[in-house]
Amino acid sequence: MSEPEYTIALEGVTFTYPGTDIGVHDVTLGIRPGELLAVIGPSGCGKSTLLKIIAGFVQPSHGRVIIGGKDAAGIPPRQRNIGIVFQTYTLFPHMTAWENVAYPLKLRGQDQASRRAKAVDILGRVGLGTQTDNLPAQLSGGQQQRVALARALVFDPQALLLDEPLSALDAALRVEMRDEIRRLQRMHHIATMHITHDQEEALSMADRVAVMQNGRLVQVDKPRDIYARPVNREVADFIGQANLWTGHITGPTNVGTPFGTLTTLPHGRNTGDKVAVLVRPEGLLLGRGPGDINSFTGAVTRDRFLGSFRRFDFEIGGVTLLGETGDMGEITAIHIPPTSIQLLPETGSAQS
Amino acid sequence: MRRGLFFILAAPGAALLIFFFLIPLAVVSKDAFTDGGGAFLRVFSNDLFWGGLRGSLILASTASIFSLVVGFAVALHLSRIGNAARTILVFFIALPLTFSGLIVAYGFILSYGRAGFITQMLAMVGVDPVTFSRLLFSPQGLAFAASYYLIPRVVMLLLPVFVNFDKAQFIAAESLGATRGRIIRDILIPQILPTAVTAFCLIAAVAIGAYGTALALVGTQVNILPLQLYSMISETGSDFPAAAALSLLLMAMCSCIIAIGEVVAARHERQDAHAR
Repeated sequence: MSEPEYTIALEGVTFTYPGTDIGVHDVTLGIRPGELLAVIGPSGCGKSTLLKIIAGFVQPSHGRVIIGGKDAAGIPPRQRNIGIVFQTYTLFPHMTAWENVAYPLKLRGQDQASRRAKAVDILGRVGLGTQTDNLPAQLSGGQQQRVALARALVFDPQALLLDEPLSALDAALRVEMRDEIRRLQRMHHIATMHITHDQEEALSMADRVAVMQNGRLVQVDKPRDIYARPVNREVADFIGQANLWTGHITGPTNVGTPFGTLTTLPHGRNTGDKVAVLVRPEGLLLGRGPGDINSFTGAVTRDRFLGSFRRFDFEIGGVTLLGETGDMGEITAIHIPPTSIQLLPETGSAQS
Repeated sequence: MRRGLFFILAAPGAALLIFFFLIPLAVVSKDAFTDGGGAFLRVFSNDLFWGGLRGSLILASTASIFSLVVGFAVALHLSRIGNAARTILVFFIALPLTFSGLIVAYGFILSYGRAGFITQMLAMVGVDPVTFSRLLFSPQGLAFAASYYLIPRVVMLLLPVFVNFDKAQFIAAESLGATRGRIIRDILIPQILPTAVTAFCLIAAVAIGAYGTALALVGTQVNILPLQLYSMISETGSDFPAAAALSLLLMAMCSCIIAIGEVVAARHERQDAHAR
């Protein structure tokens, strides 16, 4: 993985906090030039530790961190030339917006006129051209985050690390800032690692998504593939909406579920095997299916109108299924096409 | 009801202010101006006053700068340790504030005086006890003794600022390429400075006005304004209007210094509040 095809590469990186098992375990991962890689996982899964390891604030006990083709061991954070945007912005409160942005240039010995020009220029590009002389406290949360982003990009770093940069913003602003970050990231063609616990953020922004659980990387894939082909039950549950049931294989194209036996595509598993049965909400189709395969009658117990579509709970013999449809009519029966059914290991991990 | 409570709560403070500040101040002011301001002229035309002013300023600035530097380091250290250890250390650091100036002076004489413990120890390695002990009885020596109760004041003022300082800024600065020295210079000090100025002014005013330690250490041998005032009132005691004039001048100086500190603090707060 040490080929220069990756701007940042982690090879079997392990770090645990002293006296605990918490940290990251044997993580191998690469970020390509110009790529935005989202690292997603529940709190405490080790994603922020991964960022600290790349930034150089934490030293791995095993494995190597390779930045720009060079082993980063022993290189202090200040010499790694990596831009970081933190969750809490961490702007310097006594410096104006432009002074904040120009600070890394000041550290690199640029004269005041040129660093000011550069800072004002990049602030203009993040839409803050008229607020360059404001102190951070005079800016809104979203504006502060734009300044932080400008500050992390202004010195042409090798890579950009974003540590939950949007979690302190309100919902509407978060969506706006997603596009803004993506636009700037593309404009600078910079390898970026975006740490988040928000799966919607990860799926909508990233070129690839890495899912972490308990300090281990369980899946790295394109957003669509992660959603369509999760490697295990946890990933399926964490990414997107899901119907997940524990099932048993009852035949070469059958699986038993709490609400009845489903016909599947040939799955090649042994009868009696325990599996997780995944059906995404949009995989639930209205009405009875062709040949009545996987067709069930029941009742809608909850209906949520979400504009262009609705998300509903459909109860079949005491089991609730989650469905999504654009059809606003009455629902009395549903069917699940075999192509919509995925059988996953109950637990397990894989790296790609 | 609310009004009644207001008066009940305000009365003790108001009474103290009236009987122990405003009335004595009025009496002293009346004394100072009995001969139409001639007392002030006598004070200003006396070389002793200018020497005393000089001595007081040297004492106050030396003591304040030294205390600020030491207090800064102590407060920074305290902000980096655990809560329990900090509470214990703060207790010990605050102790000198409870001692009388006389006790402090006595302790210093026993340690650094001509026959002092430290002086005798240094004499064994060839330091002349007379020369060394003379240091203690100079304005600089007084400044050193004054630091004993000024440093805790600095620590108490700076510690909350350090504790509440968003340390993520250090990590951010380091990731941007700053060395530890640059972080202290560019990030920490500018944000601490307003409080440091306030602390400096407060302890400088205390150092200018304090006379207990000085009197016990050097009698009236060192010419500083509070000791001059002391001798004008107690010993020679012939020109009370001039003593009153000097009192007013001394009080005005201390008030001005404190006011500067308050203005700096208020401006900083206003900037924050405005920004918010």
